[in-house]
Amino acid sequence: MNKMGTIIGFTFKNKARTKSFLITTLIMVVLLSIGMNIPYFIKVFKGEDGNGAQSSAVHIAVIAENGSAAAQLLQAYAKQPGVDATVTPYPAADDAGLKQALSDGKVDGYLTFTEQSGAGLGSVVFHMADDSAKAKSFLQSALQQVNAQLIAGDRLTPQQIAAMNAPVPLGTEKITADGEAAQDKSHPLINYVIVYILLILFFMSIMMTGNMIAAEVTSEKSSRIMEILITSASPLAQMFGKVIGIFLVGLLQIAIIAAAIAANLMLPHNSGVLKDFNLDLGQLSVSLLLYGIVLYILGYFMFALMYAAVGSIVSRTEDLGQAAMPVMMLGFVNFYVPLFSISTPNTLLIKVTSFIPFTSPLSMLLRIGVGDVAAWEIILSLLLLLVTIFGLGWLAAKIYRTGVLMYGKRPSIKELRKAMKAYKI
Amino acid sequence: MEALKLERVVKQYGDKTAVNGISLGVERGEIYGLLGANGAGKTTTMRMVLGLIYPDEGSIRYNGKPFSSELQAIMGYLPEERGLYPKVKVSEQINYLARLRGMSASDADKSLRYWLDRFDVPDYYNKKIEELSKGNQQKMGFIAAVVHKPQILILDEAFSGLDPVNVELLKDTVRELRDQGTSILFSTHRMEHVEELCRHITILDRSNTVVQGDLREIKQGYPREEVLLRTPGEVTGLDAILGVTAVERQERGYLVRITEIGAAQRILKAALEQGEVEHFEIKEPTLNQIFIRAVGESHE
Repeated sequence: MNKMGTIIGFTFKNKARTKSFLITTLIMVVLLSIGMNIPYFIKVFKGEDGNGAQSSAVHIAVIAENGSAAAQLLQAYAKQPGVDATVTPYPAADDAGLKQALSDGKVDGYLTFTEQSGAGLGSVVFHMADDSAKAKSFLQSALQQVNAQLIAGDRLTPQQIAAMNAPVPLGTEKITADGEAAQDKSHPLINYVIVYILLILFFMSIMMTGNMIAAEVTSEKSSRIMEILITSASPLAQMFGKVIGIFLVGLLQIAIIAAAIAANLMLPHNSGVLKDFNLDLGQLSVSLLLYGIVLYILGYFMFALMYAAVGSIVSRTEDLGQAAMPVMMLGFVNFYVPLFSISTPNTLLIKVTSFIPFTSPLSMLLRIGVGDVAAWEIILSLLLLLVTIFGLGWLAAKIYRTGVLMYGKRPSIKELRKAMKAYKI
Repeated sequence: MEALKLERVVKQYGDKTAVNGISLGVERGEIYGLLGANGAGKTTTMRMVLGLIYPDEGSIRYNGKPFSSELQAIMGYLPEERGLYPKVKVSEQINYLARLRGMSASDADKSLRYWLDRFDVPDYYNKKIEELSKGNQQKMGFIAAVVHKPQILILDEAFSGLDPVNVELLKDTVRELRDQGTSILFSTHRMEHVEELCRHITILDRSNTVVQGDLREIKQGYPREEVLLRTPGEVTGLDAILGVTAVERQERGYLVRITEIGAAQRILKAALEQGEVEHFEIKEPTLNQIFIRAVGESHE
């Protein structure tokens, strides 16, 4: 045990200090920070950072020639409280004042009406200097109201027209099979976000640390330090020491990334973004995070053991990629099946994969987070996973014990089986 | 009691016998030479001694006891294809290896510093292995094998790839360890090193023991077949002497091959008849010759 502690410490210290680890972690933190601040950056770049109130408002010029009534109504609409727009009438499109205002950027563009025929507005053309989505959306709703007012004339008050245009709130209530109106059981949006983040984070972490283990074992073999190591400590202690040491490296990385996410969420300018997306951190489910950690740990050990076994049978780092392919494939299945099923978490596929030990960690995480799952299903899946890990631990130890002393070409499964019989663990 | 004793140890890989019934014993404070051509079974024997692989038959005893993992603390190993972590500092990895072999961190550090001073390279303490020359990497490998003060030291080709100065340095070190009571199992292709260092040897040939025993006795057991003769003038008619098979003219004399020891006296007589003799020597067979004979014969 003492030796294992030494191995864990040495592995952790060396791996956590490697440039590749530092750089990948840094890149992930930077990318995450950029990604999380993109909505804010967009605002800043569009000059809508809040302190330029003038620039955020819409300024429209109207040519009153053919539609003085409409122009007046539009002006009235713009003056309503809560509408951040100005409407300035000009007598004609070739008016010198309008041209001056356009070239100064004081107005976004001008409106021309065609001859009014019938009750409502005819066709309206907005001549604009730069494409402005904000101006267009303002005009869309403004002209809608103006049109309604023109048609309704004096028969309806502006308040009545506004009430007509207001959206009707639609509530939903799910009906369960027994006909009882139950409260909506759908998961809060935050769960989808958390599951999504955890899927990506766990997949990346497991794949990265797994490869780290395999590469470490292979490089110890190819640098021949392995011969000294296995005469110093039992292969079993070495394998588990390495697996645990690198597990701590993976945890450290996840902790750093989690801290980066938290720090970004804490930034004052981002609090609004969360609200915009209807995310409430208060709804964050602690049990989901706990299950996530348990599944991550189990998933990590399963893949780490497989990677350690693969690493031990390869003599040269160049051959590692090819030998690790099957394990990597399992990793991809483990990741992509739940990732593509995130909006349909209750399909048969996910139910099946959530019990197959090699794919269950992330599939079960998806079901717990956003699907319907019974407690016994979680327990059964975890038990299957645990049994598999113990089985793999035994098998990996045997392969490791045998593989680390086999040099030359990669042994076939038959050779490996034969050699495995020759060693006790 | 011998520190290390192998009795009729057999190891088979599939149908191939890697080691066929080797027996040997290494005393405390002895350097034991294990010789053999490539693939003769030296490394397999060493790995069995180290407990890396288990013998199929026979027994290996350490101070009279069978192998157990506690022995890892008293054994040191310098493998033939030596390796250390290329990107890790000397101090870190050697301390790590020493701690794995049961030393405390502070003892390990003290021992490492002693050895770096011994080899006159204290500044390597903070260097990475990849920054060192090959010979110096090998010295670090040697330190890794002895840093924990092993009682049984296994050196596989310890001196290969070193310059003469460093070979002498390591040889002195090995002798020093022997005098301190370390039992050393030593393999090499360089026969002169064995002649200088080893008391007992075993020559393996394709998994079998072909020559074994006290080096001096082995040498005496082999016929003396060469006579070195140095004279100021020329000596003629040497090849006509009974029992002489070949005469080789050298810079300052002759190297004469003979079939029986009596021929030597006849050569000396003939030379004295023709003039002065500066030097006359019936040469002992070198270990090199013994090796080539023992291994070569069975290859024919």
